Amino acid sequence: MIIRIEPESDIPIYTQLSNHIIEGIARGELHPGDSLPSVRSFAADLGVNMHTVSKSYHQLEKKGIIRIVPKSGAIIRSQDELRKDGTHDELFMEALRPVIAEALVAGLTRQQIDTLVAAVINDFKGKA
Amino acid sequence: MAFIVFSVLIIFMAFMEAAIPYLVKRTVVFGVTVPEQHVTDQRLIHYKRTYAIIVAAVSAASFAYFFFWYTRTKPAEEQIVLYGMFIQFGIMILSVALYFFYHGKATRLKKAENWGENVKQVKAADLSARTHDEMLPWYVFLLPMIITVGVLIYTIIKYPVLPDQMPMHWGIDGKPDAFTNKTPISAIQMPLILLVMQVMMMAMNLSQKRSGIKVSATNTTGTRTRQLALRKYSSWFTFLTSLLLTMLFVFFQLSTIHEGLAGDAMTFAIPMIFMLLVLVGTIIFAIKVGTAGNKHTAPPAEGMGDYDEDDYWKGGLFYFNKNDPSIFVEKRFGVGWTLNFANPIGYIIIFVPLIIVLVLSFL
Repeated sequence: MIIRIEPESDIPIYTQLSNHIIEGIARGELHPGDSLPSVRSFAADLGVNMHTVSKSYHQLEKKGIIRIVPKSGAIIRSQDELRKDGTHDELFMEALRPVIAEALVAGLTRQQIDTLVAAVINDFKGKA
Repeated sequence: MAFIVFSVLIIFMAFMEAAIPYLVKRTVVFGVTVPEQHVTDQRLIHYKRTYAIIVAAVSAASFAYFFFWYTRTKPAEEQIVLYGMFIQFGIMILSVALYFFYHGKATRLKKAENWGENVKQVKAADLSARTHDEMLPWYVFLLPMIITVGVLIYTIIKYPVLPDQMPMHWGIDGKPDAFTNKTPISAIQMPLILLVMQVMMMAMNLSQKRSGIKVSATNTTGTRTRQLALRKYSSWFTFLTSLLLTMLFVFFQLSTIHEGLAGDAMTFAIPMIFMLLVLVGTIIFAIKVGTAGNKHTAPPAEGMGDYDEDDYWKGGLFYFNKNDPSIFVEKRFGVGWTLNFANPIGYIIIFVPLIIVLVLSFL
């Protein structure tokens, strides 16, 4: 899987890394049980600071998406494991609120928003 | 004989120096990053060609002079060595000077044409690249070291029978031409120097393995192929150099311990074979790496360009990036690796062994 980041972007690099990894899992390019590269080699490949990668890994660990095991590195957790942590519904709701509000203000209808959401899911999962 | 050796070295060097612009990464021209779609710009092609022609022509002229000087005056061995070295340095200085000239021209051209501006600059990493990495593991480098330690111990056992004068330097015919008094240190000096060099080569291999696999965002496949080739072949080349160096040093050490172990022919042939194998190895390495991944040219991506690292490359030659944990990175002008000069570990790997070798040679 190829990770692309924009160093000049307003979005911090560690957030870009986390987003790419999450998208990679959603797309099925990365699988539960896979391990992510070590902080050092990932940082060396990208030519970024090791703290940046480590910050991203800790962010992913906090979200429950990966598990950091000493010596084996960062391992992607399975959906079963994630579900055991409890539901994240409220979290996603909070995150979606401002985006949907903005869409409504911009004049999008309920159907249009539904279509957009379906399009994003299709993009990750392929057409069902 | 010295004439033949230096002729081979001069011709080899001239070819290598002249070919550099064609063996480096396509998107870096005289140390300047050029976006994929401008790589075939006529002016850049012209710069490369002029550089190669000047280096080749001046080298050919100096070699012709060297040849006539040799056939006319039949100079002494030392004089040939001196002249041969002088010509080699001349070619080197010429190509460095030309490099800087065209580095300046390419930099100004890029600026004037606004290449790589107004595009989103992107960095990339390939998460699966490391599973395709074929570098040798560090421990295979222990093999030549074991041989060295064996010879070291053997020398200590044989210390009483060693000659009173230990050879320090060998002439072009493979025979010692400088000596020092026998002391416990001078007796084991050669294997010790060898050991330090072997440790250095092992450390280089290890730290190159831990350095980043850099891929371009616009041509991931091509750059990955080249990076993997560089890693694989440089680790093989370093290992073979370590082995050959071991054989050469061990041969010298054993022929010191057992005088007359090898006949004149062998004493003469072994260093020559060593030199030829290293030269041939260098050529194979340069061609293998220099042409790897060239077939993959990606179509220019709209509005997206590679992250321009020119600011990290001082003069287009020296890489200083304190964020990058890589100790080594691929050279921009030449085939092989260069240090990340902002990383102190690199200095330790290269300069500490060199200092130890120098100190050992002057003891």
